[in-house]
Amino acid sequence: MASTQTAAVVPRPQNFYTEPEWLDVGGLRVAYRRKGTGEPTLYLHGAGMTRMWLPHLEALSERVDVIAPEHPGYGETEMPDWLDGFEDLVIHYDELLDVLGLEQVHLVGYSLGGWLAAEFASYYPQRLKSLTLMVPAGLRIEGKPVPNPVAMMPDAFFDLIFNDKSNMHQVMPDLESLDEVVHQYGEGATLARIAWTSQYNLKLERRLARVTCPSLVVRAEDDRLIPNETHERFAELLPNSRIETIPGTGHALAVEQPDKVGAAIGGFIQEASR
Amino acid sequence: MNKLDFYLFHLMPYPFIPPGEEIESTWVTLPNTHYDPKVGHRLYNEYLEQLIAGEKLGFDGLCVNEHHQNAYGTMPSPNIMASYLVAKTKRIPIGVIGNALPLHANPVRVAEEIAMLDVISGGRIISGFVRGTGMEYYSYAANPSYSQERFWEAHDLIIKAWTEPGPFGWQGKHFRLPYVNPWPRPLQQPHPPVWLPGSGSMETIKKAAERRYPFMMVFAPQWFTKMNYDMYRRAAEESGYESSPKQLAAAIPTYVAETEEQAHREAKPHFMWLFQNGLKIPPYHWFPPGYTSKKSFAGMLGAKVKHNLKEHWELSYEELLEERYIIVGSPETVIERLTEFTDDLGAGIVLGAGGHMGSMPHWLVMKNTYLLAEEVIPHFREPDGKPSWMREDPLGPGTLTEHAATVERPELQPVARLDGSLVETQRAYLEEMT
Repeated sequence: MASTQTAAVVPRPQNFYTEPEWLDVGGLRVAYRRKGTGEPTLYLHGAGMTRMWLPHLEALSERVDVIAPEHPGYGETEMPDWLDGFEDLVIHYDELLDVLGLEQVHLVGYSLGGWLAAEFASYYPQRLKSLTLMVPAGLRIEGKPVPNPVAMMPDAFFDLIFNDKSNMHQVMPDLESLDEVVHQYGEGATLARIAWTSQYNLKLERRLARVTCPSLVVRAEDDRLIPNETHERFAELLPNSRIETIPGTGHALAVEQPDKVGAAIGGFIQEASR
Repeated sequence: MNKLDFYLFHLMPYPFIPPGEEIESTWVTLPNTHYDPKVGHRLYNEYLEQLIAGEKLGFDGLCVNEHHQNAYGTMPSPNIMASYLVAKTKRIPIGVIGNALPLHANPVRVAEEIAMLDVISGGRIISGFVRGTGMEYYSYAANPSYSQERFWEAHDLIIKAWTEPGPFGWQGKHFRLPYVNPWPRPLQQPHPPVWLPGSGSMETIKKAAERRYPFMMVFAPQWFTKMNYDMYRRAAEESGYESSPKQLAAAIPTYVAETEEQAHREAKPHFMWLFQNGLKIPPYHWFPPGYTSKKSFAGMLGAKVKHNLKEHWELSYEELLEERYIIVGSPETVIERLTEFTDDLGAGIVLGAGGHMGSMPHWLVMKNTYLLAEEVIPHFREPDGKPSWMREDPLGPGTLTEHAATVERPELQPVARLDGSLVETQRAYLEEMT
């Protein structure tokens, strides 16, 4: 679909960058990547590592049809002035599915995207064939607030989210590049809009009971950003769920163990669609 | 008119903390177990005394400001400090520079408190408005991505609350207030002077110039101050007027002593405390995401790389002097340096000359302040040496006789229904009135 908006020049990461395709969603030009065949699966990314077709998406696309848009204000999708919080994103994704002509999908969300997927599921449970939350944020674990990702230098943040550091260099942003630093600052502002003051949503505690589709929570062995208890609590609150641990991993489990993550989620979705 | 107005300014730091190199930040995460309230008691009272002395010494104003949860400036409520100063002084203007508007839930509170201070003080209040530093957005859990929006909406609301009859409803994006109707209204009309202390974003400078608000640079190198002043003057021209020096202010910590050597020996350790420790702030605390626009952020980063700008805590003493972040020296040197600000940059207001610097003990502060008043300030004054506020009559009548002679009887009198008829309560004790 044609859009009159002119996209700002967005820097490209050194690894895994692919040209996105474009969708017009309510006047916003949305960048997305799509690959694979089989069950249509909407993938919601976390608060970073944008503009890349990461190996876990490749692994997932060997099993299902992966549709990975970039959120408003992230990657190559511009920040719209209407974006104030999760509710705006939930409605945006409802519209995006309409534009794609998909009545029902499998929904997967990673980290911040996991929280967003849980929100979406609580508003529109009837649109989901299954729900997968990878190390999601969004619930309150008393005494264990989630550290603010921007309240530290980027290397300290990456150190915090990777337990197995072998693949870390693949996704580290190039901080020598002024354009990349400014881009990261802009994505940070989007995160601030969404989550700076909310930090968690107490209403999910009640609302997740509405989500009756098969659900999977993928947790790390030791998540040092979003405490493991969060993920266990999500599994408790989702009525039709199970939880799976990827051994040896931290919050960056998708980069640490892309094949295992892709296989776990792909297998679950195939099973849920039988 | 005096050539340069001198405002005595205090940060009220708590300097008894570990060295900057051992801590992440003097803000946000520095444990408050380092704060000893007994030491704080002494400091607050000495600090307030240092400001109060400014009136008799002939300064043009006294200034306080707002910072939260840090050791650099322990005035979370500047209005409380201003209230104390109002009570302890008679005529000198008091600048609250300023209230950090985006941090607070209801801006009417600021409109009310400034109006209270203005009425009590007889119209002596300058009302600065600031966004608060980036650090405050962590410390106060305020959303940095709304900082600009909330600042200007709160500003517009406060000005309207001061200048238009209430009650009115405010139907904004961030503030929705069915009844805006603050009692009291400010004494100064149409409202207390507004100042905008800033770090120099293009957007803020332009808006300040359009509204003829004095703009103030804080702890910046001289070339950067000049660049921002030029921008202000251009913006004033575009708004159809020529700006006056009294619209351009700078906070330049200044220490004066008998000789060059004496001045450096006395001041250097305390300035180094201020910059190494008080301003030990990691970049992610300075600039939380959304606090500044992507465009301004890119411009700032670009300038930083181009001019090889260092963090405050990385600057050497020589660099601080060279770049004119600070001024230190004999009276002759200080006069010469301040003349650069008036004659070369066109500034008409200076803050932080004289007074307290970093970790300075009380007696040294008083020495600095006395010497500045005696040896430096008169150089920038009319021959009579008077501060600006002595050239005008105070707004509030200072005595009951003046009040009786000049203030009209209120249009309405307090009344109550007594024994069936409405009577003026203040005269009801007279037999013929009841």
